[in-house]
Amino acid sequence: MASSIYTADEERKTVWVYLEQTDGRLEGVAVELLGRARLLADQAGWPLTGLVCGNQVGHLTEQAFMYGADDVWVADHPLLADFTVDAYAHVAFSALMHGKPSVFLAGATPNGRDLAARLAVRLRTGLNADCTDLRFDARRGILISEVTGFGGGVLALLEMPDHRPQMATVRAGVFPTEEPDPKRIGRVVKVPVDLPAETIRTKVIERVRGQRVDLTQVTALVCGGRGMNGDFSSLEHLARLLGGKVGATRPAVDEGLVGRERQVGQTGVVCRPKVAFVCGISGAFHFVVGIQNAGAVVAINSDPDAPIFEFSDYCVVGDVSSIVPALIEAIESRREAARV
Amino acid sequence: MSELRLVVCMKVVPKPEEVRVDRMTWRLDRARARAEMNPPDMNALEMALALKDIHAGRVTILSMGPPSFEPYLRLGLAMGADHVCLLSDAMFGGADTLATTYTLAAGIRKLGGADLIFCGEESSDGATGQVPPGLAEWLDLPQITLATQVSLDAAAGTLRGRREIFGGHEVLEMPIPAVVSVKAACNEPRFMDYRRKPWAFETGQVTVWDREDLNAEDSRIGVAGSPTVVSGLDEAAVRERRREFLHGTPDEIARALLERLDRGA
Amino acid sequence: MNAPPARVMDDELWDRFVEITGGAAAPCYQCGVCTATCPWGLVRQEPFSVRALIREAQLGLAGTGDSLWLCTACAQCEATCPRQVPVAAIMRALRSLSWEQRETLKGLPSVLWSVYWNNNPWSQPPSQRSGWAQGLDLPAYDPELHEILLYIGCTASYDRRAQRIARSLVKVLRAARVSFGILGDDEPCCGEAVLSLGHRDYFHELSQNTAGILHERGVHDFVTISPHAYDVFENHYPQIDGSFHPMHYTEYLSELITTERLHLPIQVDQRVTFHDPCLLGRRNGLYDAPRQVLSSITGVTLVEMEHHGADALCCGGGGGRMWMETPAGERFADLRVREAAATAAATIATACSFCIACLEDSLRSQKMQGVEVMDVVEIVARALGSDRR
Repeated sequence: MASSIYTADEERKTVWVYLEQTDGRLEGVAVELLGRARLLADQAGWPLTGLVCGNQVGHLTEQAFMYGADDVWVADHPLLADFTVDAYAHVAFSALMHGKPSVFLAGATPNGRDLAARLAVRLRTGLNADCTDLRFDARRGILISEVTGFGGGVLALLEMPDHRPQMATVRAGVFPTEEPDPKRIGRVVKVPVDLPAETIRTKVIERVRGQRVDLTQVTALVCGGRGMNGDFSSLEHLARLLGGKVGATRPAVDEGLVGRERQVGQTGVVCRPKVAFVCGISGAFHFVVGIQNAGAVVAINSDPDAPIFEFSDYCVVGDVSSIVPALIEAIESRREAARV
Repeated sequence: MSELRLVVCMKVVPKPEEVRVDRMTWRLDRARARAEMNPPDMNALEMALALKDIHAGRVTILSMGPPSFEPYLRLGLAMGADHVCLLSDAMFGGADTLATTYTLAAGIRKLGGADLIFCGEESSDGATGQVPPGLAEWLDLPQITLATQVSLDAAAGTLRGRREIFGGHEVLEMPIPAVVSVKAACNEPRFMDYRRKPWAFETGQVTVWDREDLNAEDSRIGVAGSPTVVSGLDEAAVRERRREFLHGTPDEIARALLERLDRGA
Repeated sequence: MNAPPARVMDDELWDRFVEITGGAAAPCYQCGVCTATCPWGLVRQEPFSVRALIREAQLGLAGTGDSLWLCTACAQCEATCPRQVPVAAIMRALRSLSWEQRETLKGLPSVLWSVYWNNNPWSQPPSQRSGWAQGLDLPAYDPELHEILLYIGCTASYDRRAQRIARSLVKVLRAARVSFGILGDDEPCCGEAVLSLGHRDYFHELSQNTAGILHERGVHDFVTISPHAYDVFENHYPQIDGSFHPMHYTEYLSELITTERLHLPIQVDQRVTFHDPCLLGRRNGLYDAPRQVLSSITGVTLVEMEHHGADALCCGGGGGRMWMETPAGERFADLRVREAAATAAATIATACSFCIACLEDSLRSQKMQGVEVMDVVEIVARALGSDRR
C-alpha cells in the first residue's frame, strides 16, 4: 500500500475545517461543519482549526471562533480574491503540509468538492465525499464517515486507518447550525502565501451570481411539482405566510418555473425544515431524499396512489388549487383572530 | 492543429434501485441488478461527440472495469466514438477514487495523452464527483467541473466552459489539455447510429490493457491503493412517517392540518 | 414578391426514401384531400400540409422540419385518400430519414434510450414492471395451462391511471373464469413508441427480439390492453408462429359475452358515449366490439358523438405524440370533449390509455364538470358488482 505524503505517525492531533468563503462571507456549510467538528474535537480532546483562504478575509476569524474554532489559519492574498482550484489547492496544500492535521473536513459545495478532491490526490490520501454523518472513535483517533450510495438506498461506514489527513466533505443542510458563542476567542495564524501567478491556469471570464436562495437553512419549505400546472403563485403566498421558501422538483425547474437553486432532491438541495409542504409532486425517491430530514411532511396530491404519501406524515388527496388556498385562508384568519 | 484527441471516461453501473445489501455477508449484491451506462457519462460522451462534429477529432472511450463492460462501451462506438480502451485487471478491483484516478491517469498516459478528457460529473453508484478533479491532479491539468457547455478555440489551444453554480453561472477559460466534468442531464445523448452499429459491435476497435501494460505500481492500484476501508454497510433505513390521511372539505382539512402541525411543533 | 429559395434535390435521400417506403408515395397525385381532412386543420390557422410533405418526399427534398412530427397516425387522411396512399407509413419513413440525419425533436432520443435501457418508453425502472400487480397473485404464463396471455404493456404497467384499467381487466377475466397468465417483469416492450417515432432500424431489432421471446414462451392467444400494442403486433411484427393470435381486449370481452362466459348482472345507469381510438377503429376496423360490450350492460344508454366510428376525431396522442409537447389551444382532445358534452353523456368511454390521458387532461384544463372518462373495462367491472377503482 502506498502511503500518504504524511503518515499517521507524522500527524498532529488536530481537526481542521476548510472555511469556504464567497465575497467575504462564510458559506453556510462551513459554519455547520464547524459546529459538528467542534463536537468531534471535544470527543477527541483535540483542538479545532479553521482554514480560510481569500483576499481581505481577516474579518471572518471572529465568526469562526464564535462557532467553535480554537485557531484560524488565514491565507490572505490578492490572487485568492476569486476562487480558482489552481490557486486555492496550491495554498491549502502548503498550509496542510505545515499543519499536518489528522482530520480535514470541507463543505461539499461545487468548489469545495473540487478543492477537496484535488488536495486528496496531492496528499495521496483518501476522501469520503458527501457524508451524511461524521463520528469519531476517540480511542483509535479515527474519523468514521457515513455515506450513501445507489441513489440513497445503501448506507456505508468508511474509515481511513493509515492515511492522513482523514478527509471528508459534507453537503450543506446535513448538519444543523449550532448556537454561536459570541464570547469565544481564539488564535489567528497568518499563513505565508507563496503563489506565483503562473500557478493559476484558469481565467474567470464571467461570474454571475444569481439570487442566492439558500434552501438549506429554511425552516418552512413549500415545494411544488408538475401537479401545480405551472402556477406557483399560491405556493409563494403560503411560503411568505410561513416565513419560508419555495422549492421545486426537477421538471418544474426545467420548465423555468423556478430557478435551479430551488431544486430540491438528490441532485438539488437537501433540506431540513421543520415543516415541508409537498404539492403536486408524485414523490420519486430522488426528490424525497431532499426532504427526508424534515420535521413534518405534508403532501397534497390528487392521485391517491402517489408514492409521496408513503413518505409523508399528513396526506391530503385533493386538488392543490382548492387545498392550498384553504390553507392560506385558515392561516390568515387565525392571525386575524390572534390580533383582535 | 493535428487531429483532436478526445477521451471520455465511462463507467458501467448497476441500476441503483436494484442494488441490495446481502445481510449475511454485509456486502453489496449487484449480481442480480441490471447494468447500464452511468447516465452522466452518456452526457459526457455526447459533449465529446458534439465537439468531434465541429472539429476533426477522434473520441476514445476509456474505462476501468471487467471484460463484461465491453458490450456497453461498444454502444459508445455506435453513438460515434472511434475507439474503446478498457483497463482490466483482477488487481484493479476494489479501488476507491484515489486508486481509480491513478489507474485512469496511467491509461491516458499510455494512450499518449489527450487534448480533452471528459467525465460525467459523478457516478450513480459512488456519487462522489471526485474522479474528474482527481484525474486532473494526477495528470497536472486544469479542470472545469459541472460544465454544461464547452467551446474550443483549436487555434489558440483554449477551452471555454460554462458552469452553473451560485444560482447563476460562471464562464472559465483554460489552456488545453484539460479535464471536463459534465453536468448530468445537461444535454441529450444521441441515440445509436444504426448504420455504424454493425461495425461497432463486430470490428470496432477495443483495446484491453492490464496493469503490466500500464506499468502500474501495485501499491497504488485496487484495494492496495485505496486508503478508504468500508467498516459497515446497510440498506438505508427510511424514516417512518405517520401517513395520516386527512379528509373533508378543503376548509376542514386546512384546519385539521394546522391543528396537527401545532401539536407537533 | 421574392422567389422562394431554390431547393436542392438530394438523389441519395430520394433513393433511401423509395427504398424505405417501397415506392408507396408514387400514387399520390397531389389532390390535397389529406390536408383538408387532417385534424390539425381544426386547431391551427395554417393546416399541416400533408400534401406538401408527400410532394417533398416524392421529389427527394431534404429537410421537412418540425411539421413531420405533427402526424398522430390517425389515418383520417388515409380513409379519404382516393389512391389509398399509406400516409402514416410515409410519415414514419420520413421520420426514419430524420433519425439517420440526427434531426429529430428534442426529447425523442431519450425515449429510445429509455426503451433500450428500461424496456419501456416512460423511463421507469424495469424491476418495477409488475409492481401494479402486487397482491393480485397473477400466475406466470404457461401455454399448457392458460387460455390466453394477458399482455399488459408499458403504459398499463407504469402509468397510475392505466394501472387501474389493468386491475379492472383482471377482475373481469376472473369473473368470466378465464385462465390466463402474465409475463411479469420479463414482459418485453412491444416497441410501438419506437415504430411510431420512426426509428425503423431499432424497431426492427426490437421486434425481432420481442417476437423471439413470445415464441419461446409459446404464446398463442394473446390479449392486449393497449390498441397500440394490438396494432403493432397485428400489423408490424414479423410472423411469430402459426398459432400467434393477437386480440384487443374489447374483442375478447365481446366474445366472452357472446359465448355467455361473462355475465353482467348489475345494472349500471350511465349515459355513455364511445370515443373510437384511432388504432382500434379506423386503423383496424374494430368499431363494433366495444359498442357490443357496452350495450350488453343493462342501464347503459349509448349515444354517439357527431364524429364517430370511421369519422371519429383523434385524441392527439398517437404517432408518438405522447412524448411530445402539444401546446394548449392545439389539442384535438379539447374539441373532442366538447363534442362529448354535446351528447349530454356523463361518461366518455374509450379503450385506449393514451385517449384517456388526453381526454382527462382536456376535461381538467377546460374545467369541465359533470363528464368523466372511463375505460370500457372499468364500466364492465361495475356491472360485475363491486366497483373497486
